[in-house]
Amino acid sequence: MFNFSSLVQKAQSFIDPTQALNISPSDRNPAKSTLFRHQFRLPDSQTPLQEITAEITISPPVAYSPNATQGEKDKDRDRGYHYEGKLHLSEAYLCFSTQPTSFLQSASTSTSSGFTGQTHGGGPGGNGFTLPLCAIRRVERLHSQQYQFALAITTWNGLTNSPTNDAAKTPAPQQKITIQLAGTRQACERFCDGLKKGLKGGVGDVGKLKKVVAECYSEYLLQPGETKKDGKKDSVPPDAGLGMIFRYPGDHKKLRDRSKMRLWGEYLRDYGRNVTLIRQPTFHKLIRVGLPNRLRGEIWEQTSGSLFLRLENPMLFADTLAKYEGRDSLAIDEIEKDLNRSLPEYPGFQSEEGIGRLRRVLTAYSWTNEEVGYCQAMNIVVAALLIYMSESQAFFLLSTLCDRLLPGYYSTTMYGTLLDQKVFESLVEKTMPILWDHLVKSDVQLSVVSLPWFLSLYINSMPLVFAFRVLDVFFLEGPKVLFQVGLAILRINGEELLDAADDGAFISVLKSYFSKLDESAHPKSENAKLRAVTRFQELMVVAFKEFSGITQNSITEQRMKHKNSVLNGIESFAKRTSIRNLGPDSKRLSVDDLGSLYDRFYGVLYERQQRSQIIMEETERRDRARRAKAAEVVTGLSENQVVEKGRVGLGPSPTLMDYDGFREFLAGMARWAITDSPSPPGKDNTSESEKHSYFGNSVRRREVSLSPWGPGNPEPADHEFMQRLFRRWDVDMNSALTLQNVVTGLAHIKGKGDIMGSITYFFELYDDDGDGKVDREGILRISEALLFLSRRGLEGSLTPSSSMTGLSEYEADNPNPYQPEGMQGNTNERFLSSVSAFIRRCFEYADPDHPQNKVTEVEESASDGLADPDSFGIGDDSDEEEDLLDLGDSAPVRGKKPTGIPSIPAASDKSDIRNRSVSKAHAEAANAALDPSKPLHITLPTFRMVVLADELLEQFFESSFPASFRISDKMVAAASSSASSLTTFSNIGFGRSTPQPSVGGTSSAGLVPPGKGLRGVLDNIVTDGMRVAAEVRRRMDEAQKELEQNAVHRPDDDEDDEEGYDEPRTPGGNAGRTVRSEDRDLLEGADAEAMSLRGQDGVSEVKQQDSLTPTAGRSRSASVVSSKVIEFER
Amino acid sequence: MAEATAPKPSSSVKLVLLGEAAVGKSSLVLRFVNNDFQENKEPTIGAAFLTQKCNLPTRTIKFEIWDTAGQERFASLAPMYYRNAQSALVVYDLTKPTSLIKAKHWVAELQRQASPGIVIALVGNKLDLTNESSGSGNALGEDSETDAAEGENDDGDARKVSTAEAKTYAEEEGLLFFETSAKNGTNVTEVFTAIANAIPETSLKGARGPGATQSSANRTEDQSRVNLTGPRDSASKEGCAC
Repeated sequence: MFNFSSLVQKAQSFIDPTQALNISPSDRNPAKSTLFRHQFRLPDSQTPLQEITAEITISPPVAYSPNATQGEKDKDRDRGYHYEGKLHLSEAYLCFSTQPTSFLQSASTSTSSGFTGQTHGGGPGGNGFTLPLCAIRRVERLHSQQYQFALAITTWNGLTNSPTNDAAKTPAPQQKITIQLAGTRQACERFCDGLKKGLKGGVGDVGKLKKVVAECYSEYLLQPGETKKDGKKDSVPPDAGLGMIFRYPGDHKKLRDRSKMRLWGEYLRDYGRNVTLIRQPTFHKLIRVGLPNRLRGEIWEQTSGSLFLRLENPMLFADTLAKYEGRDSLAIDEIEKDLNRSLPEYPGFQSEEGIGRLRRVLTAYSWTNEEVGYCQAMNIVVAALLIYMSESQAFFLLSTLCDRLLPGYYSTTMYGTLLDQKVFESLVEKTMPILWDHLVKSDVQLSVVSLPWFLSLYINSMPLVFAFRVLDVFFLEGPKVLFQVGLAILRINGEELLDAADDGAFISVLKSYFSKLDESAHPKSENAKLRAVTRFQELMVVAFKEFSGITQNSITEQRMKHKNSVLNGIESFAKRTSIRNLGPDSKRLSVDDLGSLYDRFYGVLYERQQRSQIIMEETERRDRARRAKAAEVVTGLSENQVVEKGRVGLGPSPTLMDYDGFREFLAGMARWAITDSPSPPGKDNTSESEKHSYFGNSVRRREVSLSPWGPGNPEPADHEFMQRLFRRWDVDMNSALTLQNVVTGLAHIKGKGDIMGSITYFFELYDDDGDGKVDREGILRISEALLFLSRRGLEGSLTPSSSMTGLSEYEADNPNPYQPEGMQGNTNERFLSSVSAFIRRCFEYADPDHPQNKVTEVEESASDGLADPDSFGIGDDSDEEEDLLDLGDSAPVRGKKPTGIPSIPAASDKSDIRNRSVSKAHAEAANAALDPSKPLHITLPTFRMVVLADELLEQFFESSFPASFRISDKMVAAASSSASSLTTFSNIGFGRSTPQPSVGGTSSAGLVPPGKGLRGVLDNIVTDGMRVAAEVRRRMDEAQKELEQNAVHRPDDDEDDEEGYDEPRTPGGNAGRTVRSEDRDLLEGADAEAMSLRGQDGVSEVKQQDSLTPTAGRSRSASVVSSKVIEFER
Repeated sequence: MAEATAPKPSSSVKLVLLGEAAVGKSSLVLRFVNNDFQENKEPTIGAAFLTQKCNLPTRTIKFEIWDTAGQERFASLAPMYYRNAQSALVVYDLTKPTSLIKAKHWVAELQRQASPGIVIALVGNKLDLTNESSGSGNALGEDSETDAAEGENDDGDARKVSTAEAKTYAEEEGLLFFETSAKNGTNVTEVFTAIANAIPETSLKGARGPGATQSSANRTEDQSRVNLTGPRDSASKEGCAC
């Protein structure tokens, strides 16, 4: 197999083995402690606290005299086994391994191969022990003259369960381990202190230990007073699986079960059992030859580490079952379907007993890990486990399997399975290139053959006896075993497989191979010994000798390499499926739109989760750093740990969007949903605006990076309209939206482009109680919403360049002569007046006969004679309704509003309140219709009529409102002349794909200090919306007067403004000129003012705005956009 | 495995079975391939692969059948199996309406993602659980187990999906449509024969056989007996892929 192993080794030196060892998203621990836990198979609660070089001496099994002299002890030491290695201390475990330490922060990757790399049949733990501190009975410090420290550890081995009466007769030999610590005195002292502390903590767990150990068959096996004949023992043997009732699979004689049992009995007696077992070379050999039936479960538990999980929480299985008794779940339904069909060939699973056990284990697990729940193949694996172990043991072993040994295999997307298939394929390609070429040529897809091998651990591929032999090694050495065996199968059958021309032939070669595993591998050999070698033995030899180069490391490396493509594949499948299943409403949207919606929806969820994760980690890291100093914890946090949670391909990801998520989602789609006040409060305005005018977005992005909305993302607004939309879409009333909700919601808005539909929709949004009536408050809110939605200009066909709304002062200084000035400015002015006309008309046609308000009506007419809505409407009727286009004199005034909008943060409470009170005063003085004591309402027909009475509003509902939800960026792309550069962009899908220009345009708009002078008032009016409807109205009534006031008023205020931030922006002589030109403009009157104001935003702003309105001014804006995009992508 | 000894032109056709868990996909295949039925069939892990020949008057079709796992989460593996498939059997359980919904999803997935011109048959299985099971099968294959159908108890009709509903849908989508019972063999071979007939002669690509509805399938059935030549035992008995 050419130079594969050297290749792997080379790769190992590049790839940090600590990464992606376990790609499970839940495994986000610092690399070192992860490795530590994996090496010693410890539960996730353990972290490495101390470590020290040490030499251990295991006293020979023969009698040990506690009163031995030093000399005798030394002799003992000579007689026993010595191992050099590292001693580790975690919270509750003392571990020793001869394997080079793998997880020192300073350790280079090559030294760590001891763990992640080849294990030479020793398993990751190597020789040594993993001793729960609670299993230590006594630690003595030996006084050794030669050098430092020596500890003598006495364990509870064999003492936990010995019947009290027998104890006197034959005291079990005490298990003693002598440990010589090598290190500075200080280091040794420190280690001992840590050990002392741990031991104290461990005392409380002795009870648990007894319980756990009692379930281990070894305790029964080694029980004192044992008769070799296995005949009469006074106690009942612990449950060693269904095999005790229904026989174990295979022929006992052929398996030589009895001699294996004797060997194990001896080993366990000499070197400790279950938790106190010491791994020595014999241990690994004994496992390689196959475990004896009754001990198999226990050794599995020991080598996989599920024993320690059980020790941690011995009652978890029973408690879980009790807790969820009688409850139903999807997983349980699925489990029930499969109970009768799990290893049906084994008699135990045709009985209620076996099926009952299987049900309980699978059910309990599905409750403890609801993300995984139940996956077909688990039934087969658990059924196999149950032949050899008790329910509780199988339960914990299943946990270990799912969480650690087979990460992601059984998840809802099965990404782990798919990933490992890719890995397997690539290993085949590397190790057996000829076979691989053949497979490719004959179009045989290897993974369809090998997938069941991995998924069910060969259990339903090979005859059971052999599958269990594979499992024996698998639990000891880890997932790489599955790959090694798989490769060996292909290698051994290579010749025949090269003849197989299609899937069918391929499969049948392997099938017949599996059925002949028990036959001789060399039936024709002269050599009797060779003849005796079975095909299975051959398989094991090939797997572990020839493919010894397959290490955990090479697998990890391959997993990293293929991970993204596998996840992408799963995600695109999930997307397709999910879009297809969206139901009839989704048909109203195009497939592209649905795709983009899907991306946006999950993109927002994903990003939000990422962000919260990062924030959490940041705090955690800080906490840990603090603690680390105090407690000298040796933790290394990997800086570049990949944050993966929430990725769809990894399994259950969030599917619900809360209101904040919804805001973000909208902000990615609709301009109006981006806030006007994105900057953190209290920032220096001058410097901010300075940056903005020059650097625009890039600066902004950096600033926002700390915001909860993520770097580069526009901060969403929070407007009442959005809340209403959210509530409306949230049909299930669980304060969160599913993709289905969102699609349905949008389908109703964008669906058919039917104006009546969207008018009705809008009306219903504000009809809180669903009685077909919207009251005064509702009318005002509607108008607020209309202004809110239009404050960045309107989408669609209102005017070709309706984008020019969010203008700021800057443009005033540099009026751009090339900018066509008339149209779009007017549109916004016109829209504003339309809205105010809308309010007026609403009140005019409103129905005062609100039944529930009869009483107040009387009062109100008493209190205010002018309260009649009709009377207030008449005043400006003439002015308004004559001709909408002829707003010449009043328009300018209003025209300032949209231009000024940006200056007021929509969400700014203070200015809101301030203006509210101001406007209220105005309102009440001017307009009786706003008198809160006078009830009125409009109905849908009224609303419709009022809307249709106005051309702009009509257009708004017909096109611009639906169009303001820009689902796909494709719209931009389509209009672009260089669409190719946009394809990737439009496919990015995540929130960050929001065109940056929008941020710039809006954010800079938000920089104008609110509430200065008259313009400020006007700005506030807009932002405050129709709370100040009367103000607007009054203004319209008194347009002329207002204008004069304006002219008088403005200069001072504006001068203040300009000095505030224009000067720094326009260095040189510009400033002076600016003021003058501004003055002149103002003096020229309102018309001019409107113009210049509009111009203020500057060329750059205009461009950015344009990019947001793809429908408007197509060709021009499109080219701008595409150039933007290119920059963005760079 | 490649027993291309038939004198007639023989071609292999890749067929994939899709459908919700426990609707009887594997049982249909087992019936078709081995003329056998197992009460407690192990769930399919990943997919099982089996082959069976189908003799038509003019040619022999060798079905390479990919029987996929039905559990929802295995769905993401499906593309691996329906890749290059020329025909598909989408199975639902006619006592379980949700399984028809799932079947529709599969049909949509296939129509969009699988090879163009794939022949899709919609199959409602578990006809033996309904009252009319005896009536609908015209039992012409070698497995004329009409007795089994006869002995159906009529105390309860478990049918939840009407024939009309499924058939209408099948016609809209241009699918072959059958109701079968893997348990007693009703209509099982007919499904496969109909598919074999609908596979276009030329290169097994091109348009879906439009006229190959149930009636046309039944018409041709007399001459086109499915060759159920004994169990191809060890190779095909076990439901797993290897």
